[in-house]
Amino acid sequence: MTQMTDAVTAVAVITGAEPEAPMRRQGRNLVLWLSAGWLVLVIMISVLAPWLGFLDDPYEPLVGPPEQGPSWSHWFGTDQLGRDMFARSVWGGRLSLAIAAPAVGIGIVVGGVLGVLAGYFGRWVDLAVSSLVNVALALPALVFALFIVTILGQTYLNVIIAVTILTIPAIARIARAQALRFAAREFVTVAHMMGAKWPRLLFREVVPNVVPALASIAFLAMGIVIIAEGSLSFIGMSVGSPSITWGNILSAGKGRLEDAPHIALITGGVMFVTLMALNFVGDEMLRRLDVREARI
Amino acid sequence: MLRFFATRLAQLVLVVLAVTLLCYWMLNLLPGNPCVAAFGGAATEEQIAECERDRNLDDPVIVQWAKWGGDVLSGDFGKSYLTGRSFGEAITTALPRSLLLLAYSQILALGAAIPLGLWSGYKQNSLGDKIISGGAFGLLSIPVFVLGLVLILVFAVRLDWFDLSGYQPISEGLVAHFRVMFLPSVALAAGLLPVYLRLLRTDVIGTLREDFVGTAQAKGLPVRHVLLRHVLRPSSFTLMTIFGIQAAQAVNGAIVVEFMFDLDGVGSLLVAWVAAREFLLVQTLVAVIAVVFVTVTTIVDLLYAVLDPRVRRR
Repeated sequence: MTQMTDAVTAVAVITGAEPEAPMRRQGRNLVLWLSAGWLVLVIMISVLAPWLGFLDDPYEPLVGPPEQGPSWSHWFGTDQLGRDMFARSVWGGRLSLAIAAPAVGIGIVVGGVLGVLAGYFGRWVDLAVSSLVNVALALPALVFALFIVTILGQTYLNVIIAVTILTIPAIARIARAQALRFAAREFVTVAHMMGAKWPRLLFREVVPNVVPALASIAFLAMGIVIIAEGSLSFIGMSVGSPSITWGNILSAGKGRLEDAPHIALITGGVMFVTLMALNFVGDEMLRRLDVREARI
Repeated sequence: MLRFFATRLAQLVLVVLAVTLLCYWMLNLLPGNPCVAAFGGAATEEQIAECERDRNLDDPVIVQWAKWGGDVLSGDFGKSYLTGRSFGEAITTALPRSLLLLAYSQILALGAAIPLGLWSGYKQNSLGDKIISGGAFGLLSIPVFVLGLVLILVFAVRLDWFDLSGYQPISEGLVAHFRVMFLPSVALAAGLLPVYLRLLRTDVIGTLREDFVGTAQAKGLPVRHVLLRHVLRPSSFTLMTIFGIQAAQAVNGAIVVEFMFDLDGVGSLLVAWVAAREFLLVQTLVAVIAVVFVTVTTIVDLLYAVLDPRVRRR
């Protein structure tokens, strides 16, 4: 078999969760709770942003002196126009999450269905899905995301379309591996011998076993989509201005690194911690569910 | 071996055909006349007519695509109707830069991942292993544009060790070249390193349990010799397998890194043309990226066959 058909998905690589964990179980539990807590916090603040009274208007200039470092009244400092960076980070995260969540949702459903069908039915279904997935995986995704956004236009919906297409092949691949693994298990064979028809076998026996793996993959895919959207908006090709995203905050902060490094660094830090939390939770779930196929 | 090569070649051709056809089809979805767009809205009737003739716009999409393929094969890659600059001219400046950037980052990533991966696999669960594995996990979560900003701030702005002045070719001297290329290569390598490291570590732990390793150790061979001569090769197959996917990731990263460090490579070209709505060039560029990319992964596949004799026999 060639490398391309053996290829590991971008998602799967991150799940290099080896049985010999480098950290003790207690330590991992602590980090897991911290990660989950951070994610809950980020999601709550993002969702509730319009109703949080203490949050400044992210578009309002001169709520403080321009390019001021973090202070008690402006936790993340202010940018060139004196806008509150905490509010901008929150609203940027809100948009990034609002793009990533539906993208991953659709990616899981479409990729999951394709993968399970390919893994369960095999033959030409598998051949069709696998070839498609392999071609898609073997190409630099950002190039195509860029192409899609350019052609369709820089709107919220189109960015979601572009990044969703990016998640489907990876997820389909993992779903296929899981479906293959469980379709060959004895309980499925027994159910088959007891006279169960394929819809029952598929939906009652195989699918419920694929779902937990997909749920853990969702966390990792979320991280990948946030990075992808961040890359797009960093090069100015995500949702058009004046929308705020983490990527365009960083892009704007790049020019001010010398005098006002806090603009880029704090938002970058928030993004980093969020991604690390997503990766850790996803990784840990895969480890506990013993999803080894995710990294074949 | 010959059959293996033929299969890969067929795959290469299929991928390129599929990608370019897809691009053509998507381009066709665009509202309006791409030739009008190509001139940035300021074109004369004759110019548009000439462009339409060039692009065979009267034909069905599939015929347009076939004719475009014929042109490309005969060396006519088209040109920018806006600036008059030819595609070939732009790509011959940009492509070497991007390939160098990718090569440097792979060298850095592998150069660090191989010793660290061997050592942390060998010293599994030691303090050093925990620090390395933890660090790798952290590195995996830093988007390339965040790391790039930190590198710029620390090493270019504060310490002033490196230049941000745009690309310097090797002919300007190695020092000038690497003052420009080092930080972007590190930023790009940082995304690859943890993936390589984690895979290698896992495989090393597996290989260390094999009998032949025990034999080598029992013979009294030094640890370094055992790790490099006996453990590394059988532990590197997964690494090779994922190289193709990682190369795809690296190209994604390269687009961002080139943009960030003003390197004017293929990624910058892509972003600039996309922004200028030069769809006709973008399409050819996407095809070129696909070809180069699939060629590189094919070469890696062949290397894989060299490393693992089992692949050759199949």
